[in-house]
Amino acid sequence: MLEAAMVKRLRDYTLDFRLTVQPGKIMALMGMNGAGKSTTLNIIAGLLHPDTASITLNGECLCSTDKGINVPAEDRRIGYVLQNSAVFPHMSVRDNVAFGLRARHVPRPVIAERVSSWMEHMHIADLATVKAGNLSGGQKQRVALARALAIEPDLLMLDEPFTALDADSTKTVKELTRTFVKELQIPSIVVTHRVADSAEIGDRACVICEGKIEWGGKPAEIPDFCTVCRCR
Amino acid sequence: MYFTTKLKKINKHSVPYRLFSHYIQLKGRITKMERLFISRKALLVSIACTLLLATVFFAGCTSSTPQTSTPAATVAATGTPKPVYTASPGNLVIFTAASLSGASTTIGSSFTAANPGTTVSFDLDGTQALKTQVENGAYADVFISASNSYTNTLLSEGYFVNGTVKKLATNYVILILPASNPANIQSLADLAKPGVKIAMEAKQVPAGTATLAVLANLANSTYNQAWENATLANVVTYETSEPAVATKVSLGEVDAGFVYQSTAAAAANGTYQSIAIPVKDNYLQTYTIGILNESINKDAAASFEQYMLSTAGQNILKEYGFMGPS
Amino acid sequence: MTPVHPRQRRYHRTLTYLGAGILIAAVTLYLALPILALFLRITPAMFFTTIHDSVVSSALWLSLYTTTITLAVVIIIGTPFAYFHSQYKYPGKVIVDTLIDLPLVLPPAVAGVALLMLYGRAGVLGRYFNMFGISIAFTTLAVIMAQIFVASPFYLRQAKSLFEQLDPAYEQTARTLGASSLRTLTKVILPMTAGGLVSGAVMTFGRALGEFGATIMFAGNLPGVTQTMPLAVYVGIESNVNVGLTISIVLVIISFGIMIAVRLIQKRGGEHA
Repeated sequence: MLEAAMVKRLRDYTLDFRLTVQPGKIMALMGMNGAGKSTTLNIIAGLLHPDTASITLNGECLCSTDKGINVPAEDRRIGYVLQNSAVFPHMSVRDNVAFGLRARHVPRPVIAERVSSWMEHMHIADLATVKAGNLSGGQKQRVALARALAIEPDLLMLDEPFTALDADSTKTVKELTRTFVKELQIPSIVVTHRVADSAEIGDRACVICEGKIEWGGKPAEIPDFCTVCRCR
Repeated sequence: MYFTTKLKKINKHSVPYRLFSHYIQLKGRITKMERLFISRKALLVSIACTLLLATVFFAGCTSSTPQTSTPAATVAATGTPKPVYTASPGNLVIFTAASLSGASTTIGSSFTAANPGTTVSFDLDGTQALKTQVENGAYADVFISASNSYTNTLLSEGYFVNGTVKKLATNYVILILPASNPANIQSLADLAKPGVKIAMEAKQVPAGTATLAVLANLANSTYNQAWENATLANVVTYETSEPAVATKVSLGEVDAGFVYQSTAAAAANGTYQSIAIPVKDNYLQTYTIGILNESINKDAAASFEQYMLSTAGQNILKEYGFMGPS
Repeated sequence: MTPVHPRQRRYHRTLTYLGAGILIAAVTLYLALPILALFLRITPAMFFTTIHDSVVSSALWLSLYTTTITLAVVIIIGTPFAYFHSQYKYPGKVIVDTLIDLPLVLPPAVAGVALLMLYGRAGVLGRYFNMFGISIAFTTLAVIMAQIFVASPFYLRQAKSLFEQLDPAYEQTARTLGASSLRTLTKVILPMTAGGLVSGAVMTFGRALGEFGATIMFAGNLPGVTQTMPLAVYVGIESNVNVGLTISIVLVIISFGIMIAVRLIQKRGGEHA
């Protein structure tokens, strides 16, 4: 379970809210551009430093400004798929998926086994030796997902995963995400700006406006952003 | 303003038609505007071509001196490009051996004072560099050389006006030390001590040939071959002009350097210490002056040469430590 | 406006091609003819004889030796430097940026004087080295230092710009996957910037190989110790034209060789967006 509370002063507004995601559930984080969605993910991942924060994952404190704890991003066991997947284009698919495991010095036979199984799960096993830079958008996204899940993270975060995908790939990625989040029973946050996507993938949804959560509830009931946020 | 053309009788495959057909409207009328309206693209291209041709033409006409790069090793030349000397009436271009750098300013101002209407520009460099430039087409009116052999080469190659090559001055070689004498050199013998750093000119530079001859003479007469070998082994740099050696010594970066007596004499008090080389072992460098065939200011050049050989010119040279031509 | 007549378009095109052709021909000739002239002024027989001349061979060896060391130093120290410089904001970063560019606009002779004033025997720092018996001026080390000073900006600017332009997403992803800075640099960032870094290294090599002004001022001119190829050309061309020409031709061949090798490497490496 993820419990995150954070405050960070940004250029135009102050990010300030708390967030809770249950294991096996997907939280759809929504809002207008620039509302602070990606910033939130970056803070949870440890890539950005908040002004004050308290982030706990499965009871373990990742970041607490009160207690002076800050676990570095490399050690947080979070699977984070950034916008545009960021697969390493010069490496093969297999090497991409294995990257996190190799970085954590997992023994080689374990790596081989986990990589094959995740490539199977994501239906990319036949692309194992292909250079990741040559893949299509949907394939890259699945590689990124396999890569993030191979390290057996305690939390999965996806930042706008569907923007560059066509309808079929979107459907595939959504299914895969839901399947494995449920199977691994890890909390998950998916940032998206399309209400339809959010309705399909999220168990819960919340809307961020200018750094504050203005609405939370069931994805099917997401209101129009402009009614919730004070649109100018 | 319109006028009609009898289009039906024009051969549509003729070149003029194809070239100018864009002037012709579908209805067969040419308007003044359309005739004047040359496509912008064609205009720009023709401008570019013209500019290119003009640049090439202009460059070819003005510069008869190929800019050979002479990155001088002296501190003075800090990268400002040397002016390209072209033949220009009333301006004398004097290619001068670098060892006359000090003297040249005084010579220039006195000559122009005595000969108003003529300007003088000195191009100072190692004689070997200047000779190469002349051989490759550089323009100069007068050539002052520090080496008889280079002068003779240029003479035999026909660059000088016959009969204008005269002895100008002479110079001996001397050893200079930095004012603080860091290696404590008390005599020429000390040059062979291990660890001493000596600067001299490259053998292509007249002062370099002179120095090598001096060392050989000294080895024969006073010291021995081992001394000469050790001394040469102590040379850390072969500079490309004589003033460059003087600079390295004055900066204290080397322990000793071989230069012309004129350089030591003309330096401000306290710049160097010096050790004289016995006349019998020394090498008398003869400076010559001559008028180049390519000069377009031969009369002015002749006046200059006369001035240099006259008492006035010779006195200036003496001031700077040079000795008379005989 | 009247519609553009198809014949009008053809006329435009012809003129454009003509103009482009003239420009391309002019530029190509301007660059190629002087190089050609080098080859035309010496016979192959004379070239092969002269190349064994001790002046030529010692200059060749010295140049290659010093330039290789220069390149190695610049890459090994410059790459991490450029990486950290591009990733972090630190006080005085703007000044460092300017300093990196400085040797590019500084005349080489000035660079040589500056190095001499600092490291020379009478220099600001050099006088202390001298007390310990360490002298830098007039040594092969001085040649390398001069080369590094004038040539490093080519690599540093290229590396810095490559690292700055690289999408931070790659580095961030690598971090979240657990990769250390070293692993990120070597397995992710360097392979992705390799093509650009190689071209920066090539420019550095070329500049170091051709360095003259700073070398002759700071390191002097001593065959076998500090007389690199450019110095040997300059001194040689005035006494023995063949020596000058031979070394020049060798330099041209080396330059061409490097450029061809780099193109082959880049082709095989491929482009990474």
